[in-house]
Amino acid sequence: MGRFLVNRVAQSAVLLVGVSVIGFALMHLAPGGPLAMYTLNPTVTAQDIQRVKVQFGLDQPVWVQYFKWAAGIFTGNWGYSFFGGQPVREVVFDRLPATFELMGSALCLSLLIGVAIGVLSAVKRGSLLDHATAVAAMVALSLPTFWFGLLAIFIFAQTLGWLPAGGNHSTDGGGFLDGLRHLILPVAVLALVLVAQWSRYTRSYLLEILNQDFIRTARAKGLRPSRVLVNHALRAALVPLITLGGLQLPLLVGGALVTETVFSWPGMGLLFVNALGSRDYPVLMAILMVGAFVVVLGNLIADILIALVDPRAKIAHV
Amino acid sequence: MTENRLATMPADGASTERGLSRRDVLLAGLALPALGGGVGVASLLVSNSAKAAAAGQCVVGVTQEAVNFNPLLYVNTGVETCVEFTVFDSLWKIDPEGKFIPNLATEIPTVENGGVSKDGLTWTIKLRPDVTWHDGQPFSADDVAFTLDVIMNPKVAVRSRQGHEHVEHYGVKDPHTIEIKLKDSFAPYLVSWQKTSVIPKHILASVPDINTAPFNTNPVGTGPFKFKERVAGSYISFQPNPKYHGGVPKLASLVQKYVPDQQSLFAQFQTGEVDVYDIQGIPPLLYQRAKTIPGAKAVLNPNPFVEFIYFNCGKPQFEDKRVRKALYMAVDRKGWIDAVYYGVPVPTLSYLPPNHWAYNKSLVDPGYDPKKAAALLDEAGWKVASDGVRAKDGVRLAFTMSTTAGNKSREQAQQLVQQNLKKINVEMTIKNMPASVVWGDYTVQSQFDTLMVGWDALLYPDPDYGDRIRSTAIPAKGGSGSNYVQYQNPEIDKLSDQGVATTNLQERKAIYDKIQAILLDDLPFAPIFSYQSIVGVRDRMKGYEVNPYLTSNFWNTPDWTTA
Repeated sequence: MGRFLVNRVAQSAVLLVGVSVIGFALMHLAPGGPLAMYTLNPTVTAQDIQRVKVQFGLDQPVWVQYFKWAAGIFTGNWGYSFFGGQPVREVVFDRLPATFELMGSALCLSLLIGVAIGVLSAVKRGSLLDHATAVAAMVALSLPTFWFGLLAIFIFAQTLGWLPAGGNHSTDGGGFLDGLRHLILPVAVLALVLVAQWSRYTRSYLLEILNQDFIRTARAKGLRPSRVLVNHALRAALVPLITLGGLQLPLLVGGALVTETVFSWPGMGLLFVNALGSRDYPVLMAILMVGAFVVVLGNLIADILIALVDPRAKIAHV
Repeated sequence: MTENRLATMPADGASTERGLSRRDVLLAGLALPALGGGVGVASLLVSNSAKAAAAGQCVVGVTQEAVNFNPLLYVNTGVETCVEFTVFDSLWKIDPEGKFIPNLATEIPTVENGGVSKDGLTWTIKLRPDVTWHDGQPFSADDVAFTLDVIMNPKVAVRSRQGHEHVEHYGVKDPHTIEIKLKDSFAPYLVSWQKTSVIPKHILASVPDINTAPFNTNPVGTGPFKFKERVAGSYISFQPNPKYHGGVPKLASLVQKYVPDQQSLFAQFQTGEVDVYDIQGIPPLLYQRAKTIPGAKAVLNPNPFVEFIYFNCGKPQFEDKRVRKALYMAVDRKGWIDAVYYGVPVPTLSYLPPNHWAYNKSLVDPGYDPKKAAALLDEAGWKVASDGVRAKDGVRLAFTMSTTAGNKSREQAQQLVQQNLKKINVEMTIKNMPASVVWGDYTVQSQFDTLMVGWDALLYPDPDYGDRIRSTAIPAKGGSGSNYVQYQNPEIDKLSDQGVATTNLQERKAIYDKIQAILLDDLPFAPIFSYQSIVGVRDRMKGYEVNPYLTSNFWNTPDWTTA
């Protein structure tokens, strides 16, 4: 497994460099730029804009800007936000805990419920429950998140007054319970979609497995149906589910663009939306790189886990 | 790494392998969130109401986030102006009647009180001796001089020099007097200092790079409130400055809460989580509903921004002022205001809002008259061609109109204008782009045909508009200014020069009356209406007063109270 790890890390490094080059190029190729934010302010003249352009180094060729940025990354200086002036690392890491809290809760919750529903509907295939969950998942996947979020705010915050309408804690402090109360609505909205995904994936993986010979053999041996399901079928379904989990790991740091905006959740998704709108290049690059890093990491972890649960995979890798 | 080394748990009977079984992994993954879910439900039962803000605390909700609090560097006018007014002071403020009131200065310099020399070139400004910075250091004329140093420093990305480029030199005469010498007589200079907050020399003089100074996110000012903390993406909080020279604020704490989504902010305003819905304001669509919220009111707040159709006079379609005038007459401006903006904005015929002291009250509205418009186009030689669109000398009277994509009100207005113009055989195509594209070179280098924009004067509330109308202010022709419509008129150049050189208010008014009359005749840009934002204020909030001369109503925060 050692050599496997070294290989994977080397591949990942090359991949990350590639991502940074493409990301940087695309960002600069896209029309417009950070200076347009200044045009929106009527007191700023064209001379002011020219002056600020030179100040930000935007008058230099793109490749010069890229190498300056890359050199900064290697020396631990991720640059400064064009608009806030703060170190980018600070800007990004300030947001991570909130996103982690939101997405972590949503992923855990949806994993629990989604897998359970998936298993039930696979086992009781063709039953009323199976059809009901299929329809519910379809609806959940088709609902626009912003609409569902606003609906939740309207019902639970505005009309019933049970829960806060947004934010991740009250402005005058607030403890653990306060935090939980703020968490409920956005997690519910996010979980709805994730549960739908997980339940559908679990159901289809499990159905595929339940039709295979080794399950029939297990049944033929006279094992209890629950035993067949848990020890044989679910075990085999673990591999694709771990792969899926690894692919969803980036959500933990990437956040959710729409949900965070609707619920004023101060996470990475909201930061990204704002940085994109104002073309804050240093912040955008940092989010892109952190995101790319976690994608790579998520896949790596999934591979290791699969190797752990399925010895055949380990052999194939090494 | 192998399975064995990971193994710490004893294998259960069902598992035939040693160590951590697959099932254990699965079960652990399921048990943890189950626990979390249980606690969540419990907490729901414990507390059952959305908490309104505490007494003495005022929460102002905004839909954009303030990120830079250095008053010379920030970009986002509005939300960041609120922070500026809360933490910092300028030499003088402007009240809702448009009158200047001394702040860090002891009086407003005039020719009469000797503050401004007769030729208008020398400004002597006396400062209050009793002002201290939030860290306890005394405020002095050195700070004012330092502020000017920073503004003129080419290494600092100062957003705007706000008229200070007219300064020739300046010097501290004594700790509480600064003398500024101008290159030319420049009446709007009074506004420059109303818009310029003073920054502390003792903190920033030794900072290697002001652009990235920690001060920018942790500001120290002389203002009514001290900066307490910023929770990124969430809110900024302030605490009262007990030594404020303008009277100690009555609030116990002030919070600017960032809620990115308009609907969500409106919901929070309704539940009382937010006391004031300010800056971008309640969307006109929700105005009627806002008026019926119990325990709150919706206030109309006239603001400096005027909505225009910008004609690029450098394009062949718009060279002739008769074309511009015909288009103006063909557009149903009242319909635009009523249908798209629910009648909230106020019609205007000038670049100034009609409530401004310098607004020319004798301007005559050419009116909405498609027949006359068509006749005017015929007269100018633009005849209807076989494709149904007017043309002259091979040029079709067809053009694009651009604005920020996704601005729903503007998109509706564009469709309305499109239909209006179709009636007089003019073809308009909508070509919207993201803000970072449309307001970049596309605007500055005059690449557009027409724009739909909302802008105010450069040094508003000063009526000077030279930066947008002088022939020397066209960036596309190498000029310096914001004359994006490429308008050229020697008479306007002359009047603009006279306007800024004159200090007498009556004489100035006469000059700007003339400028406004000429602009309405030439129409390089077509004024449609002056914006009014709809500000939501909870009834428990007292002392809050809207100020039409400012982009932020944070001008009198010391007077605010919440019950």
